[in-house]
Amino acid sequence: MREFLARQLPFVISLAIGLAAWEIVGRNSSEAFMAPLSETLVRFWELVQSGELINQSLSSASLFVTGLALAIVVGMPLGLLLARVRILREALDLYIMILYATPMVALIPFILSLMGFGFAPKVLVVFLFAVFSILYNTVEGARSIKPELVEVARSYRSGEWALWRDVIVPYTLPFTMTGVRQAIGRALVGMIAAEFFLSSTGLGQLIMTATQNFDTVAVFAAILVIVAAGLALTRLGLVLENHFTRWRV
Amino acid sequence: MSVTTLATRAAYRRSPFAGAALPRLIAGIIILALWQAIVPRFAPEFVATPSGIASVFTKVVASPAFLSAAGVTLLAVAEGLAIAVVLGTAIGLAMGRSTVVDRALRHYINAFNAMPMIVVLPIFSLWFGYSGSARLATVVFAAIFAMIVSVADGARSMPHEFDEVGRSFRSGRLRMLFDIVLPSATPYFLAGVRLAAGRALIGAVVAEFFTAINGLGYFILFNSRTFHHNEAFVAVIFLAGFGVGFDALVNAATRRFLPWYRRDEK
Repeated sequence: MREFLARQLPFVISLAIGLAAWEIVGRNSSEAFMAPLSETLVRFWELVQSGELINQSLSSASLFVTGLALAIVVGMPLGLLLARVRILREALDLYIMILYATPMVALIPFILSLMGFGFAPKVLVVFLFAVFSILYNTVEGARSIKPELVEVARSYRSGEWALWRDVIVPYTLPFTMTGVRQAIGRALVGMIAAEFFLSSTGLGQLIMTATQNFDTVAVFAAILVIVAAGLALTRLGLVLENHFTRWRV
Repeated sequence: MSVTTLATRAAYRRSPFAGAALPRLIAGIIILALWQAIVPRFAPEFVATPSGIASVFTKVVASPAFLSAAGVTLLAVAEGLAIAVVLGTAIGLAMGRSTVVDRALRHYINAFNAMPMIVVLPIFSLWFGYSGSARLATVVFAAIFAMIVSVADGARSMPHEFDEVGRSFRSGRLRMLFDIVLPSATPYFLAGVRLAAGRALIGAVVAEFFTAINGLGYFILFNSRTFHHNEAFVAVIFLAGFGVGFDALVNAATRRFLPWYRRDEK
């Protein structure tokens, strides 16, 4: 117990300094610029009680989950297919790599003028942000399957199905999960970007309207929620990744 | 087996672009052809097509509006990235070498790193005005945490023996930092730079969308709103090219200067 306290001491001190600094700076600057911690928490509670924060968070969450789920459902099978069919992989890996490195935000204005306002274009944005991490990592993994593994399986006369079940999927899955972890972070950025620049909904809308009304306290309260969600999701991604990479050690 | 086939085999192994050139070319042609054939059937006429983009490409690239936009954005990214790399490396090294600093800062860094950086845009545009400074701040903010996390990981993963050898030769703290810790963390450093550069680019484009200041992001926004999708797409190609080019540069640097480092051996 004592040791635990000693370990946590630097963090407790730095947290105290950080929170105190937030409070002091907030109190000594213009209301429109910076909100002190105390007011942010009060406002956070008000927003929770009015139901606004919860509704907007749920709306954001549904966008995030739909987009990410689509990305996984499309990215994983496609990635595994590319893992097996070498000619497809060689034909497409360059383009996947290019799309992986392209800042997808740049496509938002096109999506806006093609698909307008609504749920579907926003899901597309989240999907595009997420899917190429999954694909790229799966293909990278597939490229590194040792030919010996496949040869051994073949020499034991394993059929196509057994090869997939026992060699290709288990080998590639850890890489795919690294992609999923990255995709979670990217999808969160895509979610906010879609809510900012396409039709305004969810936490993005909360931030936008609050900014326009110079209601900086509410902006901070919403950012607090997003940081918490980001931390929780990052953790989830790590847990997922570790779960599937256990055998690799 | 003759010498030439051996040589070509070696070349094939070395370059990832050699053996698969034909399938890639065919796939590329198919993708472009599908785009050219299908998109105009469903979408209005102003929507970008490969032929449309090709026909405006040289005109756009030579136009002063595009050149100034590209220059401004790339300069902001370079400037922000430089700040993020220097500051991020310093903070990352401090965290990697000192447990106290690490414990004090770790949770802050993790929180900021997990946060989608674009939520700070409204606050930054309030603090810095709708100006280049808001974009620069966004770029730095977007890039720095990836840098800190990577460098801290690198400094932490240094083998213990290095420390001991350094100390038994009575090397000073600073000397140790620059001559032992930093070189051994270089692969992590480069990985961090690569990640940070991608995020910096996104940060710059998003900041330009948000604040409507001159740059490639605004160039895309303005042209797509005025139904010049082909022109806008040229800027997208440039952004993609920058992203891919920077990745390739960092990979080449890793292969050239750090031949001892293999990712899969980790």
